[in-house]
Amino acid sequence: MGTFLLLLIMGAFFAPAQAQYLEEFEDKVTEFTLDNGLHFIVIERHDAPVASFYTHVDVGGANEPVGNTGIAHIFEHMAFKGTHYIGTTNWEEEKKVIAAMDQAYQEWLAEKYSSNPDSSIMEEKWAEFEQLQEESKQYVVNNEFSQIIERNGGSGLNASTGADFTNYFYSLPSNRAELWFNLEADRFKNPTFREFYVEKEVVREERRMRTESSPVGRLVEEFLAVAYTAHPYGRPVVGWDSDITATTIEDARDFYDTYYVPSNITIAIAGDVEPDRMKELAETYFGDLREGEPAPPVTTLEPEQRGERRFTIEGNTQPIMLIGYHGVSESHPDFEALNLLGNVISSGRTSRLYKKLVDEEQLALQVGAFNGFPGSKYETMFLTLAVPNMGVELDTLETAVYTEIDAVKNGALTQEELDRARTNIRASLIRSLNNNTGLARNFASTHATQGDWREVFRRLDRIQQVTLEDLQRVANEYLSKDNRTVGATVRAES
Amino acid sequence: MKRLLLFTFMVLLVLPLSAQKRYDEIEYPEMNPINMPEVEEFTLDNGVTFFLVEDHELPLINVRATIRTGELLEPASKAGLASITGDVIREGGSENYPADELNALLENRAANMSTFIGFNSGSAQLNVLKEDFDDLLPVFVDVLQNPAFPEDKIELAKTQTKSAISRRNDEQSQVGFREFSNLIYGDNSVYTRQTEYATVDNITREDMVDFHDNYFVANNMTVGIIGDFDTDEMKQKLREAFGSLPAGKETNMVFPEVDYEYPSTINFVNKENVNQSFVVLGHIGGLRENPDYPALQVMNEVLAGGFSGRLFQEVRTNLGLAYSVGGSYGANVNYPGVFRLITMTKSSTTAEAIDAILKEVKRLQEEPITQEELELTKDQFLNSLVFRYDSKSKILNERIDNEYLGLSPDAFDELVEGIKATTIEDVQRVAREYLKPEQVQILVVGNEDEIGDQLQKYGNVNKVDISIPEPPSDEEEVAGDAAQGGEWLEKMADAVIEPGTDMGPIFVESVITQQTQMGPMEITSTAITNYDDYSSERTMQTPQGEIQMKIENGGGTMSMMGQERPLPPQMATPVTNEMKRNYIAIALNKDELEAEYLGSETVDGEELEVIRIKGDVTVTYLLDAESGLPARARYSEMNPQTGQRSQAESVFSDWEVVDGVALAYTTVTYVDGEEAATQKVESHSIED
Repeated sequence: MGTFLLLLIMGAFFAPAQAQYLEEFEDKVTEFTLDNGLHFIVIERHDAPVASFYTHVDVGGANEPVGNTGIAHIFEHMAFKGTHYIGTTNWEEEKKVIAAMDQAYQEWLAEKYSSNPDSSIMEEKWAEFEQLQEESKQYVVNNEFSQIIERNGGSGLNASTGADFTNYFYSLPSNRAELWFNLEADRFKNPTFREFYVEKEVVREERRMRTESSPVGRLVEEFLAVAYTAHPYGRPVVGWDSDITATTIEDARDFYDTYYVPSNITIAIAGDVEPDRMKELAETYFGDLREGEPAPPVTTLEPEQRGERRFTIEGNTQPIMLIGYHGVSESHPDFEALNLLGNVISSGRTSRLYKKLVDEEQLALQVGAFNGFPGSKYETMFLTLAVPNMGVELDTLETAVYTEIDAVKNGALTQEELDRARTNIRASLIRSLNNNTGLARNFASTHATQGDWREVFRRLDRIQQVTLEDLQRVANEYLSKDNRTVGATVRAES
Repeated sequence: MKRLLLFTFMVLLVLPLSAQKRYDEIEYPEMNPINMPEVEEFTLDNGVTFFLVEDHELPLINVRATIRTGELLEPASKAGLASITGDVIREGGSENYPADELNALLENRAANMSTFIGFNSGSAQLNVLKEDFDDLLPVFVDVLQNPAFPEDKIELAKTQTKSAISRRNDEQSQVGFREFSNLIYGDNSVYTRQTEYATVDNITREDMVDFHDNYFVANNMTVGIIGDFDTDEMKQKLREAFGSLPAGKETNMVFPEVDYEYPSTINFVNKENVNQSFVVLGHIGGLRENPDYPALQVMNEVLAGGFSGRLFQEVRTNLGLAYSVGGSYGANVNYPGVFRLITMTKSSTTAEAIDAILKEVKRLQEEPITQEELELTKDQFLNSLVFRYDSKSKILNERIDNEYLGLSPDAFDELVEGIKATTIEDVQRVAREYLKPEQVQILVVGNEDEIGDQLQKYGNVNKVDISIPEPPSDEEEVAGDAAQGGEWLEKMADAVIEPGTDMGPIFVESVITQQTQMGPMEITSTAITNYDDYSSERTMQTPQGEIQMKIENGGGTMSMMGQERPLPPQMATPVTNEMKRNYIAIALNKDELEAEYLGSETVDGEELEVIRIKGDVTVTYLLDAESGLPARARYSEMNPQTGQRSQAESVFSDWEVVDGVALAYTTVTYVDGEEAATQKVESHSIED
């Protein structure tokens, strides 16, 4: 009797937050799937006459073919280049020149990578390619696609590519919703690969900026390459420089044909919109998006790590250290426990890592731990980032991190720490519910990866079920020396 | 006939309710009206002003206090005071809520509290679940009013600030933005002043307490509250919570004038391990209060707005020179902004990108913009206005920010009208009046070897020194006796260089045994050093091969296996300092140095006379009383590896005199108490 009563009280105490919000959102959310498999989530928020549009494509760096790393990201750039009538003065003529240009580039590539490349043939092919590229420019209306959006008051226009996904998003005054349907459907039905080879140079500058010229960028790229031997999570999303060179329009088109199919896309719209009207427009503009085959899965599994991996990058910048452990994918029962573990030990000023390393011992300028890097769809990593204070040796800091992790393995975490982490996760979910872009992003990506936007709220139930014993168990199971990769930038010995 | 009819009917049935259109054929319905929320304003007797907006969407309440203070108000010698004070108010908690208790209290309820002081304003924020508001509001006000400033949190904030200083040259863009501001406002301007190790050390707890007490007063405080509450009840709670704040005096924020001469300069910062140049160019900008402000905003959009701007079109899309390109003619309310255009491009196309940007600036002056561009810009601006008011918190924040800066409430409406009225001619006129493409300052942060001589065509390249000034030595400064110091310095000088010696560069052959992580390493060295101008040439035989090092004017080069490369400042500086500290240099330049006698000290049974010598560098010598020769030297030096000061001590013995100059044939150097190197001299002579 007593236990039963306690259970009831506990239930009443914990249930409300997630149940209440889920209920509220059930009223605000309308979902529908077109015949071709394209799924829409419409979230009504009528506070202001605006709406955010978010397209989540279930493809990212992890899906790229060998030799074409970076292609998901290159395609993302191409999605801003226009359609058959936007961004061109004459598509019929332009497409012929684009095809010839790609042919010339492919021939140049073939010669370049032949066993015995002939430099005069290469020069000839390159000259031909450049001439066609120049010719193709006469048809181009520069950035017309983006200009139409901006001219109509578009806000926050952008896109991004990750290891697991590619997303495209912007907001419009909500009376212009039809414009979004028109443009979004057009760009994914009629990609043109206009200005492809100039844009690859833009992408290369992006690579130089984010990776090659940035100490943190270099460290992260090297870290993943060392941590993963088989799974594509080890490859940079922006692509290796030589793969960017080797990628052709034909490659990009194959990639598009394979992965940009309706069953692989989820769209969310949040704002001052009427669901019925959205459905009508969805059918009108997206109804004829070709159905295609379901996108193929990634089949490579990362083999078990056989021992600790370590590397350092010498340079002239101050040290930064990454410590990563192979973990599980988000569909695994331990995923939530590992998430919570990262949160418990490093989130907030009361967390162990902050309290010890930043505050008391002043070893670290910054320290953090989180689960799910570089993605979460496949077996991913539990990552710790540590930035030492001036004059603190990396060894000292690394040892201090392990001391804290060992304490957790030995059962040092308390119920208070766990409850606090749960409370903060719940509150940050609530704080995320009042902006259109965030809602659209969260609901669309959750649907795409977990099959239902409601998992956004059900996650609260899942973290409620994780116990202290679970945290201790996953710490022991995954955070072991043999399973870890340690990488750092260090100052060069002079 | 019947069949046909049926067929037509079926087609009609399967036709979609609406048909696909071209984008330019869409007709848009009227936009729903923007709901402007009620903003309730009231002021307490002590001067705190409140702005309240109810927003019942989520069970949250947010309080944001804006405080009239800023880094602008701190003395130059204590740069960092405002920022560290802002940090420690929150980090240190109050007497009633000490840091650890405060953190647990807030985090147990998932409440966020922060305090921050920036360049020309301070802020404090509390974000809580509605049910915790009544408990936590008094805590928030107590922390704001009675911060404890505990020593340990001050120490923590100082350590973190110093660590951030040590990292400030790591990212190219950070270096670029900072050094460009220096070029525009001047090194010592309040608008660019840097926090240094030395200025952090100058900050005391008392400074922080005073800074807080001066500025965190009711008359300096504007508080915005938004969330799930009832306005009348809230007003009562605010009165109770904020009523006891001392009224204080409203801060007078004085923004110094900027004297700008429009120089044309080309500046360079060398960065290893990058393959891209961070390019920024421009000159001083303007003030917000300017009838041309709307036309300048249109100009900015045409030049560098979003995906449509000319720089994006040309430098990125057409030329493929950059991923990132942009900038604007900036205008601030209280002091002049900066006209600044920025891009990042591979080293080999640095000049090409600079030229492409300058060309677009000139084109704005030489040709009128097109009607199409003008309309695009206006449409873009007017159609996106709704996003300015798409949330209640944006509306509240804008209201408070305008109030704080002293912008009139209709400043924004005036801008809208001004933009509507802007003509093609206006844009060309302001481009001609405000932009000076022939008088820009250009800064490139990039890889010297890869860039080569591309920058020479813009003028004499000024190499910007970004080395971080070292923290002062930790030694307690004890004032010594100057008169006796001078006498001992004379005696030491005469012992090292016989009076009447005809000095010249000194040639030394020696074997140096250096302690390394891999064990001792032997280096044979021949060096010619000129202590007049601190130049030297040195050849070293090391296990890794021959290394030649050349030092002059505080810089230098090093070559190994035929590869010559410049010595980075963090290496050239200690080597130059080593020459300046040498007893021969001290003997030679004794008239320019100050010496203080610090008494005698017994080391290893020997009584030695201690003098501290100050010039460009500071060094303490322990002299043999009889001969006047130095027995030991103590000094501190920045360790380029750790970024920290190390304490070093050299012990001299086996003195030999050749050509009138005495040299210790054995020198053993200890760093932080551990033996680091031994130099055994084989011969020395004075060159003619």
